[in-house]
Amino acid sequence: MLLGIDVGGTFTDAVLINNGAIYALAKSQTTQEAVLHGILAALDLVLGSDKAENQSNITTLEASITRVVISSTIVTNSLMEGQTDEVFLAVMAGPGMSTKGQFPVEPYLAKGYIDHRGKISASEAIDYTRVAKMCAGKKMAAISGKFAVRNQVNERALSQDLKTFRFSKIFSGSELSGELNFVRRTNTAYFSGAVYTKYLQFIGQIKKSLAERNIQAPVYVLKADGGALPLEASLEQPVESIFTGPAASVLGIEAIAPPTIKAISLDIGGTTTDIAFWENGQPLMAKKGATIAGFNTSVHAFHMQSLGIGGDSAVKRTIEGFVVGPARAGKAMALGGSLPTLSDALITSGLVKFGDLALADKAMKTYVRGTETTMQVAREIVDAAVEKIEETIGHMLHQWSLQPVYTVDDIITGSLFRPELLIGVGGAAPGLVKVLGDRMCLPVEIPIGAMVANAIGAALAKPTLTATLRADTTENYYIIPEAGIKAKLPSGFNKYQATELLNAWLQKEASKWQITAQEAETVAYEEFSTIHDYYSSGKIIYLKMQLPPGILCRVAGREVSF
Amino acid sequence: MPNLGLVFFPAFDWMLSPTHPERQERLLYTRDQLMEEGIFDLPQIREYRPRMASISDLERVHIGVPCISELITPAHLVSAGGCLTAADAVMKGEVKRAFALVRPPGHHAMRVVQGIRGFCTINIEAIMVEYLRAKYGVKKIAIVDTDVHHGDGSQDIFYHDPDTLYISFHQDGRTLYPGTGFPNEAGSPAALGMNINLPLLPGTGDEGIHRLFDGLIRPILDEFQPEIIVNSAGQDNHFSDPLASMSVTAQGYASLADKLKADIAVLEGGYSVEAALPYVNTGIILAMAGLDYSQVVEPDQSALRPQGFECNQRVDQLINQVGQLWNNREKLRTQALNKCGNRWQRDKSIYYDEEGIRETQRETAYYCNNCRGYLIIETSATNTRFGNQSAYVVILHKDTCSFCRKEALEQAARAKKSGRWDYVLIQDKAKSAVDNL
Repeated sequence: MLLGIDVGGTFTDAVLINNGAIYALAKSQTTQEAVLHGILAALDLVLGSDKAENQSNITTLEASITRVVISSTIVTNSLMEGQTDEVFLAVMAGPGMSTKGQFPVEPYLAKGYIDHRGKISASEAIDYTRVAKMCAGKKMAAISGKFAVRNQVNERALSQDLKTFRFSKIFSGSELSGELNFVRRTNTAYFSGAVYTKYLQFIGQIKKSLAERNIQAPVYVLKADGGALPLEASLEQPVESIFTGPAASVLGIEAIAPPTIKAISLDIGGTTTDIAFWENGQPLMAKKGATIAGFNTSVHAFHMQSLGIGGDSAVKRTIEGFVVGPARAGKAMALGGSLPTLSDALITSGLVKFGDLALADKAMKTYVRGTETTMQVAREIVDAAVEKIEETIGHMLHQWSLQPVYTVDDIITGSLFRPELLIGVGGAAPGLVKVLGDRMCLPVEIPIGAMVANAIGAALAKPTLTATLRADTTENYYIIPEAGIKAKLPSGFNKYQATELLNAWLQKEASKWQITAQEAETVAYEEFSTIHDYYSSGKIIYLKMQLPPGILCRVAGREVSF
Repeated sequence: MPNLGLVFFPAFDWMLSPTHPERQERLLYTRDQLMEEGIFDLPQIREYRPRMASISDLERVHIGVPCISELITPAHLVSAGGCLTAADAVMKGEVKRAFALVRPPGHHAMRVVQGIRGFCTINIEAIMVEYLRAKYGVKKIAIVDTDVHHGDGSQDIFYHDPDTLYISFHQDGRTLYPGTGFPNEAGSPAALGMNINLPLLPGTGDEGIHRLFDGLIRPILDEFQPEIIVNSAGQDNHFSDPLASMSVTAQGYASLADKLKADIAVLEGGYSVEAALPYVNTGIILAMAGLDYSQVVEPDQSALRPQGFECNQRVDQLINQVGQLWNNREKLRTQALNKCGNRWQRDKSIYYDEEGIRETQRETAYYCNNCRGYLIIETSATNTRFGNQSAYVVILHKDTCSFCRKEALEQAARAKKSGRWDYVLIQDKAKSAVDNL
């Protein structure tokens, strides 16, 4: 039995999945100020609902849970907005772009530098007096060096130097991401330090609460790339773990109705619309890391965007027309709410059927001017919302078209993303996505039972791991920064050996966290001959592999109403 | 609006040969440096995907023998297309300026193309310049060529064009490929003074090129008042370049880009792929984006030598000599036109180092009082991919009058009838096409 919990902006959903079928589900109000309460409420509800529905013995049910996955965007917000720890940041930027304004805090500039081939250009001990002054009162530290992913020796030396100051934890940029982008790695290390203590408390509470409920199963958190990460492992990369983004939504769609053609999925909930792109039955991954609190990080994420439009969105009439969202008005008037919402407009337009039609009509009346009918007003509101969604899709299509092109082959064979289908899930999807489909001239699919898609996605998320390897045969070494490994190359090094090495490490790491072994896939491979004085001097090999994200199994949808 | 549009196309699958300076690896370290710096995340920079140029874009400039499409690879269409993408971004007002950081390069490719010379097959800047004219009606354009080699291809293409100011500083042709680029190559009579060559002594560094820019290039640009400034941004004046002997640094290049404020820059040569290109490109990009480039310094400057005192002497001599030529250009132009009457002719002997092709050309400019006239190029080449071949080429400008047009086409017909030529080709710029008669 798999348990998935998703903390959304409006509802916290919990779902139990057994043998590819939904066994029980529950919905409770999200508690923004104390996320844990909402989680536990949903948890107790889903366990209780089962008792009512299936008359089973609660102890056996809890004992039969084999895995718990928690997914939440709200945790990010509450952790980020709350009091985070002050972090001492030390960077080795060397020559290049100015570091001014690149990071959340003014860093200590250490002198070391590694060049693009991984050669040490400079290394120097820290200025102890200055550092002592800068790190006074700080428990956490983050360090990062330019090109440290090519050679971690300077980052290690710096970390060693900082030991004197007895930080509770030091996060190293190159260990958090093996990919090039010094600014993103630095920010990732910084935020890891900033949220560490709070995250530690959060998972402590989760563990305690589950233990109190006799749930012994291993607990995972969902990452933004759709991978489930064991709770203990997540402490090493807290930013990856707290920034889930809307990943659960796409996994849910993958579980219920994965599109086989190029498609755009829209998960329209109460507060937000999450948009994702699909190809070959898989959601597309963003080529760049996520942006957190306005800073670029190296956190892997799906190519997704969240837009502040949902069923509960407030509606405003301005001189230029209607504006829908991002503010929430709460429950629709048709459902007994006190303010008009987008849902009321959908009900009046006849696009969806729920709640009290007369009350929805009354909501629309508040906007009517002159001889306008409530129907006209409702359609205008719906059109305003759909227009904004279409605009966001346009922006995302443009972003996707800017993915780097490095070869002639990329240009000739690389096709742009042209959607052939829209998929709508979530409460407000049926009406809105249909109108959007008409506007974009695309067919629309609304899978059945997609009401708790997010929790289903969380429950079924596969664990993922990513690592990179770079070998330089002229310099005779290879490096796996995520593992902190730098070693001499075996003779005759080639793609096959590189793949073996990296796969072996991924499998070892997977077993360390009791992740079920699965085939690692190659995400990127580059091989270049290096030339010196017109003679070939060696090869540079770059390889990136992952245990790919995805779902453990598909589930059949089920109509539910709350 | 972002300050800089960046078209980055390193052509990791294109090379001339595995150990050639123009090989897959050339922009690898530059890519790594730009990625690591986080250049592509900067809000001041907008990234563009290059498009492919069309054959008709190429035929606004080039006449290939037997035809241009048989001489190029798809990579050429992407690098030329990358320049057009950069041009569009600037002309549509999406960005203030743009940099096409693309390969293969182009400034040694001449109007008539028989093969590859100086690593170039088609002249990507020239294709962009003619595109700016055809699509956006831009008239006055200045090209400042900061590659260490003389851009003999660009010179050849714009030699008769009074609206294109071509300025090239480079290592003296007596010491470096292609061996041309002296001040007396100043343009044909109709465009005299618009081709400005500034040969520098080997060893010239940041000080020398900035002295030259401040003392001569800046004032000339100010007076010409181009609508668009193009920078042929070669990077082989760098002290570590294996093919040349100059002493310019990344700082020297970046601050030059900052002063020049080119509307569009296009990468040309530069073969110190590890020690120079990552830093020079980062410096130029930051400067063009209006960002702080003062920290962009090569980590290893041990090979940097201070420039000799004679370098500045040469610079001062050029400022004086070429300055006078520029100031007197109107007078000199009238004199030259009076002297040559309605026809001007030059003979050229062109070597294609990549393929060992020898080409001889006789180029005749026909002048007219009512229009820009027309050109005829008689070319024969040995040892091309297609064997020995010859062509009679007629070039009609966009404004060539009906009288000249008729006269030129009659000449072509006569050439065809004579049976002396393997091909008789007519380039009609009004149609952006080359026809085989």
